[in-house]
Amino acid sequence: MKKPYSPFSRISIGVRLVVVAMMSSVIILVGAAFVLSEIYRRAAERAFDERLHVYIQSVAANIASKNTANAFDPYGLGDPRFTLPLSGWYWQIRIEGSAPQNIFSSLSLFGGRLPRLEDLHVPSHDGSSREGYIIGPDERRLRLVERALELPDGARYLVQIAGNADEIEQTIQNFRTALWTAFALLACVLGVTTIFQTRFGLLPLSRLSNQISSIRRGLSDRVEGEFPDDIAPVAGEINLLIESNRDILDRARTQVGNLAHALKTPLSVILNEASGQETPLADKVREQADVMRDQVNWHLERARAAARAGAIGVTTEIEPALAGLQRTFLKIYSERALTIELNCSSDLKFRGERRDFDDMVGNLVDNAAKWARHQIHIEALGLPVIEGRNFLEVTVSDDGPGLPAEKRKDVMRRGQRLDETVPGSGLGLAIVADLASLYGGSLSLEDSELGGLRAVLRLPSL
Amino acid sequence: MRLLVVEDDRDLNRQLVKALGQAGYAVDSAFDGEEAQFLGETEPYDAVILDLGLPKLDGVSVLEAWRVAGRKMPVLVLTARDGWSDKVKSFDAGADDYVTKPFHIEEILARLRALVRRATGHASSDLVCGPIRVDTRAGRVLVNGEPIRLTSHEYRLMSYLMHHIGRIISRTELVEHLYDQDFDRDSNTIEVFVGRLRKKLGVDVIKTIRGLGYLIEPPPSS
Repeated sequence: MKKPYSPFSRISIGVRLVVVAMMSSVIILVGAAFVLSEIYRRAAERAFDERLHVYIQSVAANIASKNTANAFDPYGLGDPRFTLPLSGWYWQIRIEGSAPQNIFSSLSLFGGRLPRLEDLHVPSHDGSSREGYIIGPDERRLRLVERALELPDGARYLVQIAGNADEIEQTIQNFRTALWTAFALLACVLGVTTIFQTRFGLLPLSRLSNQISSIRRGLSDRVEGEFPDDIAPVAGEINLLIESNRDILDRARTQVGNLAHALKTPLSVILNEASGQETPLADKVREQADVMRDQVNWHLERARAAARAGAIGVTTEIEPALAGLQRTFLKIYSERALTIELNCSSDLKFRGERRDFDDMVGNLVDNAAKWARHQIHIEALGLPVIEGRNFLEVTVSDDGPGLPAEKRKDVMRRGQRLDETVPGSGLGLAIVADLASLYGGSLSLEDSELGGLRAVLRLPSL
Repeated sequence: MRLLVVEDDRDLNRQLVKALGQAGYAVDSAFDGEEAQFLGETEPYDAVILDLGLPKLDGVSVLEAWRVAGRKMPVLVLTARDGWSDKVKSFDAGADDYVTKPFHIEEILARLRALVRRATGHASSDLVCGPIRVDTRAGRVLVNGEPIRLTSHEYRLMSYLMHHIGRIISRTELVEHLYDQDFDRDSNTIEVFVGRLRKKLGVDVIKTIRGLGYLIEPPPSS
């Protein structure tokens, strides 16, 4: 059972780091903003209360000095805000234990009354004074401070001063605006640095991934350069993996080659021993040795192809390869006065092994040379990108008799039965078609403009 | 015509030497790369059959060494590796033809004849001079259409002179090209062979150039 992937498993490391960092920054900043505004609110209230207490002090001092006339004077305290009607600033003195009319208050209260905080169940922190919010006579929110006084003669007073709470709210509001602006800026800066830091931190990883992709595309053959300690082992492992892949392929190829050599030399000996003798045994031996030769060739070719199809990042420059084949064929057919024209746009690179390229094109040219009367054209060109992949096309045309369309498929069929394929002709093209499809390419046969057959080999390129 | 067979497989080497000897060649053999390189650089072979998979020094290196040393004899490469890359490599190293194992000995003989012919500048496998015709394919000599019975040494001599028609061939050169290295060489035997050959042919085509050697002159028409 395969463990199902979590929906997050495909999210990139960079996005993960940035998202987590951003989320935690925002949470921390919002929390800090709330705590700070609460602390500031308390400080602002205390400062305001302190101002109100100063007035209480001065009223209390007046009462204590029995300067009651002054104490209860509606114009007392000197501050003009206490005389302006409904200014939001009020004072009120109650003489406890007497009739309700024994209440003196500022002119600004305009005959209204301030409620008792004690009746509103506001707790007191020192037993005599209380602070709290009330709704004043003008429907405004007020900050009220009250204090109970008891004189030595037994007279008890309750002194109350109220100030406009809007003032507190205003300072708190100003502070909050400044705080949130600063924190928003801070969050932006943090975000940018997080992205930068993530990018910078992950740079070696993206460098590694670029290198791996260039190995896959055949632009380089190993991971190069210095990597940080964290991922240097990974780079090393990748190089080892590539090397071991190459080693395995090399070994497989060498073994196949050795096997070929080991089998073919004794086969030659058997063939030669039998030749020159006209006995039925010799005939049978010759015939069977020929079958064995074809079988060995066919299977070795396939084994070799299978061993090398998995090679990583191998490329072949096709211009020198084609030029080498041209030289070779001109030499092989030097007696037949064949012209072999080569037309190759340079810089084309086949994504695969040189041996395979040589074998595919070599077999095509060999086949063309068997049938050609005077000339062979070899042409190579890059094709426009198909579904994001690059292909190149090698065409080999001859001026021979050509091949009827209905026979073309047969020639390229990957035969299992060798007695049907004549060595050197059908076998050659079948191997080319086989190899080409192993590389994700194709072979097709068409009419040539020279009059004969044209083989079109399409292969993956860089 | 003197050949060198380089093949490390004892059986195959023996078979090749035997078949080539029967076809009228003087044959030396080598079993490893170093021996092959030495023989090829010191002995004047008319052609070489060279296996590529050799002990001590591989065939391509041997071939390259010969070409660097200025040895131009035609080389027929013999190999079990039949990829085109190997062929391109061999031809670039200076090979003249290529046969993959396993092979029929007849194929080797045909390719060798063609190589020697090309190297001496002849277009046909029949070498003709007036009434004389040497059929290199069948390994026989005809005078006015009548086959002449020759020993293998006599045939080799005739064939060598006809391949190099129009050129004066010294006795030393004949000795070097008609006998393999193990043969007890005595240039006086050449004189005896030439005498016998003239008698058997019945026509005077082989001229003695005193002090220089022998010559078959091309007929005036060609």
